[in-house]
Amino acid sequence: MLASVALVLVGLTVSTFAYPESTYVTEVGWVQDQPVPFSHKHHVADDGIDCRYCHTGVETSADAGLPPTHTCMTCHSQLWNDAAMLAPVRKSLESGQPIRWNRVAQVPDYVYFDHSIHVARGVGCVECHGRVDEMPLMMRAKPFQMQFCLDCHRDPATRLRPPELETQMAPLGWSEARKRKFGEQVMHKHHIDPKVLDNCEVCHR
Amino acid sequence: MSETAPSLVEIARGFPALAKAGLVRRDLLKYLGGAIALAGLDGCERLPNEEAMPYVTMPEGEVTGIARYYATIVELDGVAQPVIGKTFDGRPVKLEGNEGHPASGGASSAFVQAALLGLYDPSRSKLVRENGEPGGWDGWDRAIADLRDRNDRGGGRGFRLLTGPVGSPTLRQQIADMLDRWPQARWHEYRALPDTGRERLRLDQAQAVVALDHDVIGPGPLQIFHARGWGLRRRAFQAGQGDALLFAAEPSPTITGVTATERLAAREDRVGALLMALGERLGLAMQAPALNSLESGWADRAAAALRAHPGAGLVTVGPHHPPAIQAAARAIDAKLGNLGKTRITLPQPQGPTPGDLDALIADMNAGEVETLFVLEANPAYVSPRAAEFAAALRKVPNRFHAGLHADETAMLASWHAPLAHGLESWSDGEAADGSVLAGQPLVQSWLPVRSRVGLLAGLLGDGRSDREVIRATWPQLGDDKAWEQVLLGGVIASALPSSLRGGEAEEAVRGGARDSGLPQGLAASRNDERRKTEGLALIVRPDPSVWDGQFASNPWLQELPKPLTKIVWQNAVHVSPALARRRGLQNGDLVRVSAGGHAVEGPVWIMPGQERDTVLLHLGYGRREGGAVAQGMGFDAWPLAGAAGEVTLTPLGGNDPVCTTQHHFTMAGHDFIRFVDSLADKLPPEPPKAHFYPRQISSPAWGMAIDLDLCIGCNACVTACMAENNVPTVGREQVAKGREMHWLRVDRYQQGPEDEPQHAFQPVPCMHCENAPCEMGCPVNAAVHSPDGLNLQVYNRCIGTRTCSAYCPYKVRRFNWFDLTDDDPPELKAVRNPDVTVRGRGVMEKCTYCIQRINRAKLDAQKDGDRPISDGEIVTACQAACPTQAIVFGDVSKTASEVSTRKASGRDYDLLPEANTRPRTTYGARIRGGGSIT
Repeated sequence: MLASVALVLVGLTVSTFAYPESTYVTEVGWVQDQPVPFSHKHHVADDGIDCRYCHTGVETSADAGLPPTHTCMTCHSQLWNDAAMLAPVRKSLESGQPIRWNRVAQVPDYVYFDHSIHVARGVGCVECHGRVDEMPLMMRAKPFQMQFCLDCHRDPATRLRPPELETQMAPLGWSEARKRKFGEQVMHKHHIDPKVLDNCEVCHR
Repeated sequence: MSETAPSLVEIARGFPALAKAGLVRRDLLKYLGGAIALAGLDGCERLPNEEAMPYVTMPEGEVTGIARYYATIVELDGVAQPVIGKTFDGRPVKLEGNEGHPASGGASSAFVQAALLGLYDPSRSKLVRENGEPGGWDGWDRAIADLRDRNDRGGGRGFRLLTGPVGSPTLRQQIADMLDRWPQARWHEYRALPDTGRERLRLDQAQAVVALDHDVIGPGPLQIFHARGWGLRRRAFQAGQGDALLFAAEPSPTITGVTATERLAAREDRVGALLMALGERLGLAMQAPALNSLESGWADRAAAALRAHPGAGLVTVGPHHPPAIQAAARAIDAKLGNLGKTRITLPQPQGPTPGDLDALIADMNAGEVETLFVLEANPAYVSPRAAEFAAALRKVPNRFHAGLHADETAMLASWHAPLAHGLESWSDGEAADGSVLAGQPLVQSWLPVRSRVGLLAGLLGDGRSDREVIRATWPQLGDDKAWEQVLLGGVIASALPSSLRGGEAEEAVRGGARDSGLPQGLAASRNDERRKTEGLALIVRPDPSVWDGQFASNPWLQELPKPLTKIVWQNAVHVSPALARRRGLQNGDLVRVSAGGHAVEGPVWIMPGQERDTVLLHLGYGRREGGAVAQGMGFDAWPLAGAAGEVTLTPLGGNDPVCTTQHHFTMAGHDFIRFVDSLADKLPPEPPKAHFYPRQISSPAWGMAIDLDLCIGCNACVTACMAENNVPTVGREQVAKGREMHWLRVDRYQQGPEDEPQHAFQPVPCMHCENAPCEMGCPVNAAVHSPDGLNLQVYNRCIGTRTCSAYCPYKVRRFNWFDLTDDDPPELKAVRNPDVTVRGRGVMEKCTYCIQRINRAKLDAQKDGDRPISDGEIVTACQAACPTQAIVFGDVSKTASEVSTRKASGRDYDLLPEANTRPRTTYGARIRGGGSIT
């Protein structure tokens, strides 16, 4: 009897606390299969392409957007234009059918995340998407759960950076104190009030 | 739960697996606790992996996630309604009125709002059919090529084209081209409902309006234009600029009668007498028959008002009345100098004069019609002569039909072609004010459909694209720059260009009351003769929600409560309280109404304010084809529309409850709707109420003011809210249980004697109470308050106790009893606004003041250098749709804002002040009078 109770208790503890935060659920570090093994590491770190070259909506729209096949082919009609691994891209352009990527960064439908305001305020890409320049295959770097969002919404200061450094992947090399000082200046300038930033209606409608 | 044997039996019944284990109470509780804990993990499950499909080639200027707007038109009975379509990633999700156009000013109507759902209607025809069998366009094209050859050889002998009302200059041009090419062919235009022809009423200029059995601001193709005019006039009156008097005489209450400053319940056949009385009083050579005291008092005051406003008055008669009566009204307007001021006539369009349906039926019966091509008309249902038409059509060897639905006429056709919806077609059209508009597709058709222009081009062997055909009608827009400008604003010209005008404007009013004398569709031309003063008078009118039946497959409109009765999903036999008393009838009692050898059976609805002996039926129901939503609802009143002879009403015994969303129409001593007598009057100030907490007004503080003096109860706001906020429909059965989901409803109340009450409308969205009872009731804090004053529902917290709804004094919260959305076909999922969460089963939902629009404006302002949000920048969906601007939303913390100005008017009051909820939505009392005369 006692054993069974203990078992239930262990089970409950695991399921209540450990499971929701396990990487199985959060998908942190899990690589998604993709039709084309696109390497952010290669394109960002080796080639030095800015995030906004492909994710064009990030400054103006809620969606950062994925590049149309056409964007891929601006380079790949010249480079690696017969590579086998790029066959799905060429096929997409030929057939007019989109490439079906598997989403890596996604939040539930009832969350209305807006890239543009985060970019406008100086939240660096790396804060949520991690070291994309070190990912040969794309994976989620942070648990996109409410706690993760709230951590920053309740204390945004150290996550803000100057606009020209927003897409920089490597650490800024700033001390915590400097980060906080800069962030607080930004918050003052834009009237960012963490007290209302964690209200339901900020993200949910 | 005890530990005795019977309870274990109960457990075994409920949880068979557990019972086998021989459990006792404590163990069971433990397991139940575990089950509850696990159930709580429901929200922590791994998200299903989604695919992302970017464009292959991104359209120029496209940014995913940012809406794009296109000016286009929605055509209603041949009148183009100027709209702006909002699209996300090429998917239309909302229509708004075209703000830059004077016939809309940004306003819309229920029909315009619901046209969006019409585009996505899953019951739309998707296939070419040959004798009912699915076919393809190849077969159609071959059959049309044969037809063209035959017509070319025979000069069009035996060929007839039947269309609905044609307002598009291009379509008219194509028909003219066709008749030039095939001189023996004939064109017939079927206008099922009488209209005012080329005449338009400038209610914004009319300080005294007399509407005789004319629902001027009621539903229909001119509603936005007229209601907007009335709103402008009434607001000018409120600002002290002239009068806004409206005298209505009508057999059954309409929204015009409810809005009127003085209403008279009058039989349809008294219209002539009242008109003569007006003429007599205004010094025209008219001899009025004897009037009763009510009538003569009404006529005295109406005549006085007209006399006081020469050149700024208007006498109008419902278009279903015969030409003689129309002419008399016009004569009065001419005498008072109103012609050309409040009553304007648009230039006649150039082109052939069509025949009507009666001529076509006669020719079909005479065997003169070899081929009939029906383009977007359904006379096999939408006609009092539907059965005759159907019988005559069977005598026609070749029958082509093109329409949005496989409707009653399609079923009789040898060939049926699926027609493209207006929102996915190139078109042009004439707006209510006579300006010419361009219609561009908001989306590429996903169905194998063709547009009207394309089908006619195909018939003529014209290989040009639809757009090329449209552009060819407008040679002055030859260069692409000019054309692009047109597409940006939607307007081609402010009036028909002289090249497209016909001769002098014809004097006779067209439509149902034609000189041919025979009624076409719905006309009351024979009323005067056929109805003696004694006995019952039958009137058959288009339905406020589904119109002549063309919107019967649209669930937004089917579930739209009719303005006066709040009936949904059906029609009814409307009788007066006096008639009901005399015959001992109750609401829902089944009766048979017969006249002229035709009869319908349906439930009774008692309509206070209806003339004593009038029986009212609404058209548009009892559809025999046209889709699952359209069919099987209500009864078909079309056969009675043209019926002459004695009217009888026979109780059948039995009762079939009428489905309605409001059950009590009297205010029962309350003052939900308040009145003041004149503009100068103010409501007595409310004594301040004590409250535990001090009032907190942040900045911004959102609030809303609804002016009941401007509200005409037209339901545009309700439909706009459904479209904007993904509000589901639930169907007749669930509405009957009180489970409709509308976030915004329009209540109708009446005061005074049952036979002649005063009616008034009251839109009721969420009040966004500062002291919201719902928030106090929620056990899980799902009903929350935002710092800027919004009362919001967090769907993911909601566990569905419905306490908030029980606590809400205004009953504006709606509960998802079922999963109303998941099983929707893909088309209906595509119509949803991506900015608003689609709610699941078991959660409460409610009006959010369109928080998606607030947040959008907030973010835009923040990105735009942290500027403040300007007044009027945020427009809620209901506010945008309202043709009279009765609804104003804004920041109540700023005294200069429009909403604060309205609230400071002295007519402002809280609904249910005794609840002390400090609502942010407040109402402006209705003003009984309309000027210095009454």
